[in-house]
Amino acid sequence: MPTIAVDAMGGDHAPGEIVRGVAQVSLTTDIECLLVGDERRIQDVLESVPYNPEHISIVHARDVVGMADDPHEALKTRKDASLFVGIRAVVDGRAGAMVSAGNTGAAVLGCARHFRLIKGIKRAALASVYPRSTEYAGQDPLALLVDAGATVRCDADELVQFALMGSAYARRISKVPSPRVGLVNMGSEETKGGDALVDAYRRLRRIPALNFVGNVEGHDLVRGRADVIVCEGFVGNVVLKLVEGVAEVFGDVARAAAQRRVSWRLGLALLSRELERLRELTDYTQYGGSPILGFEQLFIKCHGRSNARAVANAVKVAAKAVRDRVPAEIADAVALFR
Amino acid sequence: MRRLRRRTPPALPPLLCRWDLDKTYLRSEFDSLRQLLRTAFERGEDKVDVPGVAALIKAIKAAAERRGRGALVHFVSASPPQIGRAIRDKLALDGVPYDGIVFKNQLANIRRGKLRNLREHVGFKLVELFRGRLAAPAESRELLFGDDWESDSLIYSLYADLLACRLDADAVVPILRRIGVDPLLVDEAVALAGRAAGPDAVDRIFINLERRTPPATFRLFGPRVVPTFNYFQTAVVLAADGVLDAEDVATVARSLVETAGYAPRGLENSLHDLVRRGAVAPPAAERLTAALRPAGVLPPLAASPGRWRRIVATFARLRGRRRAADVAAARSEPAAIDYEAILARLRPGAADAEGRRA
Repeated sequence: MPTIAVDAMGGDHAPGEIVRGVAQVSLTTDIECLLVGDERRIQDVLESVPYNPEHISIVHARDVVGMADDPHEALKTRKDASLFVGIRAVVDGRAGAMVSAGNTGAAVLGCARHFRLIKGIKRAALASVYPRSTEYAGQDPLALLVDAGATVRCDADELVQFALMGSAYARRISKVPSPRVGLVNMGSEETKGGDALVDAYRRLRRIPALNFVGNVEGHDLVRGRADVIVCEGFVGNVVLKLVEGVAEVFGDVARAAAQRRVSWRLGLALLSRELERLRELTDYTQYGGSPILGFEQLFIKCHGRSNARAVANAVKVAAKAVRDRVPAEIADAVALFR
Repeated sequence: MRRLRRRTPPALPPLLCRWDLDKTYLRSEFDSLRQLLRTAFERGEDKVDVPGVAALIKAIKAAAERRGRGALVHFVSASPPQIGRAIRDKLALDGVPYDGIVFKNQLANIRRGKLRNLREHVGFKLVELFRGRLAAPAESRELLFGDDWESDSLIYSLYADLLACRLDADAVVPILRRIGVDPLLVDEAVALAGRAAGPDAVDRIFINLERRTPPATFRLFGPRVVPTFNYFQTAVVLAADGVLDAEDVATVARSLVETAGYAPRGLENSLHDLVRRGAVAPPAAERLTAALRPAGVLPPLAASPGRWRRIVATFARLRGRRRAADVAAARSEPAAIDYEAILARLRPGAADAEGRRA
């Protein structure tokens, strides 16, 4: 079973929720977790919850990168922070992947500093899954968005590589044999969106190993037209936050309606099962985290607000990615294209 | 010429080990009525022991023999004597040497209309522990083994404190009444405690965390109670206490690896967990690790690191030692056990009932 390093001190609810998540994983799987952070604080939380000590070890790290810290500054001055100690544990081979709910910028920079890019890859990408409607039975209810914010502006080369990486990841993790890849644009015609997008479109269409379905517009993102959505980090981050925000607004609207009229409350009660399904579908905690793709090593970035369930699922996703040799799959895909 | 006189080491007092049966020795499943019925009709060969327990009992006996001290193994079970034959068959199949076994006569409770006593085991076990003590050599040291399903930590702690006169009859009677112990058993326990009282004979109380109860739950019982997740951890603590040798710990570890699918890495993590919890001092853990690694039950060390890495690792180890020593010091502070707090936590119903009565 793979060993997963977990940054115990990163995230809004660290170390409590992070350690609880790892404790849950230790009871239900054979995954070994390397908790990185303040040993005393980790141990205090661990002893207050059910856990299996056979699957947990602790690596002490005396420093922490705060959520509001400047990533560049943190990389320079906080070498003993749990985030960087964990990344180095992966580099040393003590763990197969790293999971953190901490500072995203510092995580990306830490990976760039310590991990090695896969041969041929220019820039890493943060991939993220989000719920969408499906077009056919058996289609994965989650789409993969690449990039969700690691590379703010991209050229055509980078977009093509994101498509290859996303497709390889979806093949391994979502078990979609030939994932449909779409390029986010402001129109479906290949001439739309400026030079980088037009060039990327033409090159993606020429890659036989890729199931490229063309440009996808905003309204397609929540439909099942594509399994892998490719865009630059700036756009990806906006899309992701928008999806999250809309889901939260639905919840707020329903709550407000229920408070206003008894008949609406009754209606919502009748719809409660469906609403619960909707809530589950849009609940980020069940999807684990977002992989940073493009490195020879794996890093799963969780939401900063992650609770124990989200951390546990992120650890499981990381273990699956290690077992299924995702970096090797990406390397093979990129090598074929070169 | 002066003759050199060889001093013979003082003889070690005998060891009295008392074991609970269900969930401590046996993996009994009786969460539902169906499981309870199945357990009642199981034969010896159907019963399943907790991984490593048989190896541990044999190791305790063997280590005591090597040290020239006697080791008595007694089982105290709240199961009815009707399943005694299956239990004895199971112990024989496992090759576990034992010196006594006591069951709870549930039929007598039914005949006397004491239905409440069917589920209440504190009084029964306390009485049997004192009876066993009075029958054993007076100087015996005791090790008690239970689990986290019922009240073993409470029963064993009450027993140890009554035996050592840290708790007197005036203090224990209200506690037992609040738990709902049969008044007859309360009187009997107090009378037996009066006869057995004297030595502070209980060295350790081990609680097998079969339900994975958080270890912090047991802090109220003080450092004498050691919750352990597997019998390798129990063996490690016993080795640190000088009851077992490293070879005995290796035997227990080997049985876990060979029969229960434990991995050397998992055992190493279990050992580190004990150190972090302050149950074993870092130097003792390091000595054991050094002996267990060549035996193949702990993973081999990675390839020899460079000079700087070795220096950094040494500093990290020293830092770890200091942290673990701090934890151990903080947790080994001898303090009287607050049974009020324990009852409020473990038996909130009993505490509420008392409050309402008051």
